[in-house]
Amino acid sequence: MADKKNKYSSSKPYQSSLTRRGALKWLGAISTAAAFPALIGCQSSSKKLNTSKGHWPNLSLSPVSANGYGKDPNLIIAPKNVWPRILTTEQLTLVAVLADIIVPREGNVPSASEVKVPDVVDEWVSAPYSRQQADKEYILNILTWLDDESILRFNALFIDVSPAKQLMIVDDIAYNKADLSAEFAKPMLAFARIRRLVLAAFFCSPEGTKDIGYLGNVPIAGDYPGPTDEAIQHLNQVLDNLGLSL
Amino acid sequence: MATFDYQVIIVGSGAGGAMAAYTLTKQGYKVLMLEAGRDYNPKTETPMFKTNAQAPLMGSGNVDKDFGFYDATVDGGWTVPGEPYTTGEGSDFLWWRSRMLGGRTNHWGRYALRFSPHDFKGFTRDGLGADWPFEYEELAPWYDKTEELVGICGTNTGLDDMPDSAEGILQPPPKPRIPELLVSAAAKKLGIATAPMHRAVLTRPKDDRQACFYATPCGHGCSIGAAFQTTTSLIPMAKATGLLTVITNAMAKEVNVDEHGKVNAITYIDKMTKQSHSLEAKVIILAASACESARILLNSKSEHHPNGLANSSGHVGKNIMDSTGVGYGALIPALAGRPKYNEDGHTANHLFIPWWGHQLHKEKLLDFPRGYHFEIGSGFRAPGAGVSGNLDGYGQPLKNIAKQAYGSYVSLSLRGEMLPNEHCYMEIDQNVKDQWGIPVVKFHWQWSEHELKQVEHGLKTARRILETMGASFTKPLPKAEDAILKGGQIIHEVGSTRMGDSSKNSVTNQWGQTWDCKNVFVMDAGVFASNPHKNCTLTIMTLAMRNATWLASQLDKGAL
Ligand SMILES: Cc1cc2nc3c(=O)[nH]c(=O)nc-3n(C[C@H](O)[C@H](O)[C@H](O)COP(=O)(O)OP(=O)(O)OC[C@H]3O[C@@H](n4cnc5c(N)ncnc54)[C@H](O)[C@@H]3O)c2cc1C
Ligand code: SF4
Repeated sequence: MADKKNKYSSSKPYQSSLTRRGALKWLGAISTAAAFPALIGCQSSSKKLNTSKGHWPNLSLSPVSANGYGKDPNLIIAPKNVWPRILTTEQLTLVAVLADIIVPREGNVPSASEVKVPDVVDEWVSAPYSRQQADKEYILNILTWLDDESILRFNALFIDVSPAKQLMIVDDIAYNKADLSAEFAKPMLAFARIRRLVLAAFFCSPEGTKDIGYLGNVPIAGDYPGPTDEAIQHLNQVLDNLGLSL
Repeated sequence: MATFDYQVIIVGSGAGGAMAAYTLTKQGYKVLMLEAGRDYNPKTETPMFKTNAQAPLMGSGNVDKDFGFYDATVDGGWTVPGEPYTTGEGSDFLWWRSRMLGGRTNHWGRYALRFSPHDFKGFTRDGLGADWPFEYEELAPWYDKTEELVGICGTNTGLDDMPDSAEGILQPPPKPRIPELLVSAAAKKLGIATAPMHRAVLTRPKDDRQACFYATPCGHGCSIGAAFQTTTSLIPMAKATGLLTVITNAMAKEVNVDEHGKVNAITYIDKMTKQSHSLEAKVIILAASACESARILLNSKSEHHPNGLANSSGHVGKNIMDSTGVGYGALIPALAGRPKYNEDGHTANHLFIPWWGHQLHKEKLLDFPRGYHFEIGSGFRAPGAGVSGNLDGYGQPLKNIAKQAYGSYVSLSLRGEMLPNEHCYMEIDQNVKDQWGIPVVKFHWQWSEHELKQVEHGLKTARRILETMGASFTKPLPKAEDAILKGGQIIHEVGSTRMGDSSKNSVTNQWGQTWDCKNVFVMDAGVFASNPHKNCTLTIMTLAMRNATWLASQLDKGAL
């Protein structure tokens, strides 16, 4: 069913960079009763269709009960995979598709999924901290909503419809416009959350950092050189335009 | 400890405690230091050159690491596990603590401004708060010595709110960056000057410490010793004399007295064994940070000191002040998409806006009594969990919004002087103990009209400056009472054991010596008689150097 052009789909899932060791570690960790309901909870509810107009999944998600990294983590070798990941392969694949819509490849600059942004999203929504748990609420709901909406419109999961059809849905929720139809109000807000997260994760990656133009984090011998001539010229122009002077 | 016959016990290894230990050991005295936190070595533990991508959650903050994953704080932040504090009804107070050798100096902002002559005489000026028991001229040479030792970059500006240092003391400041220059030009149009920030950051090497190489944020700590922290400077230097012994994981509980009420020992909990130990003490210096030192005094009750030690005035725990704080910022359209360059610098303010209203105060042209300064936030920062810009859509247009907005957001953070008031104080919570069995602090807090009026003025001024830079606003300014940050949130808490010239209304004399117990001194910000907006730590260290020197002279005389 999926378009051949689809990079990811049900039959071509996103491969997380999670190591086997990490996964095994969590298998141990999550075989406690406390962690299981969260996992099962989001899997089963994503199968339940909710496709009336103005639909919103309102998933009832149990809070993540894992521990954080504590108040004295090793800062030199940062802890990895501290808490179990909650996204299923299907959800990760959907995140990958969405992430590449948000940040597609541009010439030599890779797309979001190429720099493993979905793994960062997974780490984020799985984290036991309040900010992340609040984001999780939005993000898991928008993932389910996208599937529900796709089934409503095209009778297939979001990742299995053509890129053109995917964009038809995204176009309805990606813009904060005055005439936004009420049925898209919640999806629009939730999309904004994952959009900001995907962009941040992309710019954090070495390729993204280069793309945004961050040039620091390199030691300078001697005095700090200050702005370049080009930057000073630009400032002078700005000052002129604003009628200011140094 | 039988093998080490120390003459002075110091509690705390932060700004005050380390300076006292340095001063005393350099003069040949033997010092034993108790530090509640663990040992900490910035040379091996500082995450230099790490990227946010290498950290969990892109380095963002949470209850475990409030100021981000890489922040140097160990076992602390807004909460310390097992060591709660409480607040009175209707009181909001935030208390930042760390539990590590060097205390909060490992990650402080390193803004190091002198107080001005008028700051020491606030009461004389406007009848509010309290005067300090000496003049600026008394402290000036000690500021010079402290600045020299600590290493401060900045310039002498001649501005009335920035007293000059002696010739040759300050190290050259780094060149200002584009957003700072734009703020400077806009402020100038409004008649407000900007100046190089004074920071405890070396731009020239000193002792074993290297000069800043303008990369990696100082809040993570500085493994090369350029950004001042006691763990790369005063503590190793004091240890090198062979006269300092430090016991870490040692949580001081109370100061003990003999049957005449004279202080003769201190009790601490060894956090590893949970055992309580008592150490004989001839002289004790409390420098556990303002509110911790006051807590120790209040918890040291005895027949002779029923309200807690050194508290015959009833002022221990009273007069607490923080700095006022509020932030206001905007995207500056003219900075959108500006040319890129390495804008790290020393990773904090190269320029700031010192208080310009001293003269206006004199002429009674302002409706609030005390001043403030603005710190400038902007720059091409290392990407992290936040993205600037009014994000909309997706794909290339979206990315362009973010790229254009990158480095074009400018914020102005007000840091102002508050006045002491009867509603801002701490006491011991009779019902709550920490995990070491020590009764905890209960804070009470209420801003007065003075602070709210000041913040209102600051918000209006910040908006005018940003508008002059071309920003436009659609929303009205927030109300001061909604916008002002919480008590304690600026982490400049002072005044809990204030100094003065009478035992009636102060806890210590001008030397930090408690009126009631000649052999107990306080050498942290507890002794501040007022809290000028110019960040407290340089003055904590200056007072500790001066007062430890005086203490040494008293030991020499046999007066203690
Ligand atoms: C993020 C941040 C930024 C800051 N920026 C600035 C700035 O730019 N400029 C400025 O002037 N100030 C700044 N400050 C404030 C500055 O850090 C403090 O003013 C300064 O560290 C206080 O020194 P201190 O010696 O009183 O206390 P601390 O540095 O807190 O040291 C006290 C030590 O005592 C120990 N201790 C506490 N209780 C006990 C006990 N019962 N027994 C034994 N040991 C105990 C603690 O573990 C700690 O190590 C900042 C603070 C923070 C957190
Ligand atoms: S910016 Fe300079 S002073 Fe600050 S941590 Fe880096 S090297 Fe040290």
